[in-house]
Amino acid sequence: MALPTYIDRTTERTTLLGTWRAVFTYRALLRNLVSRDLKLKYRGSALGFLWSLINPLMMLVVYTVAFTVFLDRGGPLFVFLLLVGLLGWTFFATSMAAATGSLVDNASLTKSLHFPRAILPLASVFFNLAQFLLTAVVFVPILLLYYDVAPSTALLAFPIMLGLQAVCVAGLALTLSALTAMFRDARHLVEVGLGMLFWLTPIVYTLNDIPPMAARLVALTPVTPFIRGYQAMIIHQTMPSVDIWLTAVVYAVVATAVGARAFGRVEPRLGELL
Amino acid sequence: MTAPPLIDARRVSKRFLLRHGTSAELKVKVLDRLLRRRTWVEEFWALRNLSVTIGPGESLGLVGRNGSGKSTLLKLIAGLHRPTSGQLLVQRDLRLGTMIELGVGFHGELTGRENVYLNASLYGFSRDAIAEKYPAIVDYAELGHFMDVPLKTYSSGMQMRLGFAVAAILDPDVLLIDEVFAVGDQDFQVKCIATLKAFQSAGGTLLFVSHAPSAVRALCDRACVLDRGELLFDGPTEEGLAHYERHVMTNLVAADVPSDEGDGAPVSVGSLEAGQRADPAARWSEDDLAMAWHRLRHGAHWAATGQWCADLLRREGLQPEHFVLDVGCGSLGLGRLLLPYLAQSRYWGYEPDRDLLFDGIAIELTRAGIDPVRGHFIINRTFDFTECPHRFESAIASSLFSRLPLHGVARCLAAVLPKLADGGRFFATVYEGPVDADVRRPDGPWTKTDGAPYHHDFGMLEGIAGSLGARMARVDAPAHPRGESLVVFTCD
Repeated sequence: MALPTYIDRTTERTTLLGTWRAVFTYRALLRNLVSRDLKLKYRGSALGFLWSLINPLMMLVVYTVAFTVFLDRGGPLFVFLLLVGLLGWTFFATSMAAATGSLVDNASLTKSLHFPRAILPLASVFFNLAQFLLTAVVFVPILLLYYDVAPSTALLAFPIMLGLQAVCVAGLALTLSALTAMFRDARHLVEVGLGMLFWLTPIVYTLNDIPPMAARLVALTPVTPFIRGYQAMIIHQTMPSVDIWLTAVVYAVVATAVGARAFGRVEPRLGELL
Repeated sequence: MTAPPLIDARRVSKRFLLRHGTSAELKVKVLDRLLRRRTWVEEFWALRNLSVTIGPGESLGLVGRNGSGKSTLLKLIAGLHRPTSGQLLVQRDLRLGTMIELGVGFHGELTGRENVYLNASLYGFSRDAIAEKYPAIVDYAELGHFMDVPLKTYSSGMQMRLGFAVAAILDPDVLLIDEVFAVGDQDFQVKCIATLKAFQSAGGTLLFVSHAPSAVRALCDRACVLDRGELLFDGPTEEGLAHYERHVMTNLVAADVPSDEGDGAPVSVGSLEAGQRADPAARWSEDDLAMAWHRLRHGAHWAATGQWCADLLRREGLQPEHFVLDVGCGSLGLGRLLLPYLAQSRYWGYEPDRDLLFDGIAIELTRAGIDPVRGHFIINRTFDFTECPHRFESAIASSLFSRLPLHGVARCLAAVLPKLADGGRFFATVYEGPVDADVRRPDGPWTKTDGAPYHHDFGMLEGIAGSLGARMARVDAPAHPRGESLVVFTCD
């Protein structure tokens, strides 16, 4: 009989590969957490899923009135650009906000069961990804029809760009959830940061509307490449330029690396931090 | 050949750092850094050097008071916390089922079915596996009609049944249970125990934390008694439970001493050390306090000595109205045991160590729920008992003389003997073990008369007693935990 091998709980380490495997084993949990959040969000409310559409619609109306009527700015495609920008931004911002609390608010789970902790921030990312897709599926075709834009092959790159953004968001979500476990202030910092970042992202304006110096800076903020990518392939039906792709890939890789490292360091101590 | 253990804990310790005056708020952390503000960290050792092995098919009950470390051990094994030191080996690929809390993640707005799926997936089950076990879970919980209504309409008993049902259908190799069904009704508990027995007879290994002796008796063939993070006992269930009950009784009664303000003239620690009592914890650095607590926790090693002393005094006719002077019996090992017998201010302790330890004791007593300033305990730092308002029926020193050089013993006798009441007796243990004359140290030969444990010449002790007007005699006593012999000093 072969002698059994042992894990030493004192020195046990979680590796990126190990975490990935564990998350895969627990994929039913990921799915159930996402579906729980979706159900809880809409159950019992009369309008249900419609609320998810009303929210971007309201923002769309407010910004359109403010910019085209009051400020007399914005080109003919303003509403379309705004909507695509808002969708990409909302996915990012709501994921960040949800991820910061994902460990802290689920302390009761982490205190009594041993499951891969990374599931919790990842579930909040998937939940917001689902929201993004549901709203995009409703709004994008309407605007394509309204603006009479014919879909082209450029749209095929959309899932790839979305995948890159999801990976980037997931990496940041891991980082922020770990950070919040250590410093509760991270939550408030993220709120403030998101408020600022919104204006540093080309949503209510395009890079062509601002001075070249500023445009170069804005092009490097974390959500910009994805939003520029979506706008290019949905509105202009062209492939995003190489610099957009490059920035997107670099951000996805860096965010994943940082997230895996930050989370790996905090995970063993979560039991005491939460 | 016995099967290799499933879980092998080797000198496992777990330290929790309780940060006082600090928080997870960034602002506070930064300010503390900037202002060099002292945030003292309290060390709490939930487990100390615990070694235990658990083999396949064993059923081990973990018993101990709250805070004894039993739940911590369970959580370390489950991987919820990380041990601070030692090795905690858990067989690779062992399927661990944890019942540390039932119905984790249950949400009132979701239906019973949705909650079952979510809860089971927290244990790592795939959708298919859950779907397969779902009928058995519903059947076990006896909630067939309720599975499609929101959980918030369930009674707490129903929720618990559902939680246990999910966990019970897990079928792991090792089941870690932390008093989860202590809250259920009788029927539920009976059912739980039946389920666990079936799990055992199928070859499952059980690690069971409980306060309820009946449940441990019903399920476990082996019991470990923990106290303050240390393993006091590891052996057959009945012996373990007896050990535990004895332990609990003495401590429960100790915490229940009625306060009797009008009795005698209570002398408080405060009156002895005026001005120092305000906040003992604030006077010392975290390192100092950690050391003091370490010393005090050593009291646990002296528990047997304290017990031996208490037994001796009871045998020798200890009465509730007696005054007892604890000259030194290993930290507070004796004092705690005697509290049930003695009203306030009838117990005097002696602690020769520095201020720090003195404050440490005050803190320790406060934590044990005994108010040091009310005079339940009076602890003296020197052998100066002149302020003591009364005389003592008994005084006792265990393993003290073997730690003091001869002049210390003489000083002790000179201080204690005058404070004995008429017919009062001073019991002391003396070391008569071998004298290692051969042991040499760099600056010359030495024997055990030069260092602890001291071996004092009997004639010399008799002489000192005689010069103080007392007599010394040997007394027969049950074996002393440290192998010392008992003598008694009486005044003429």
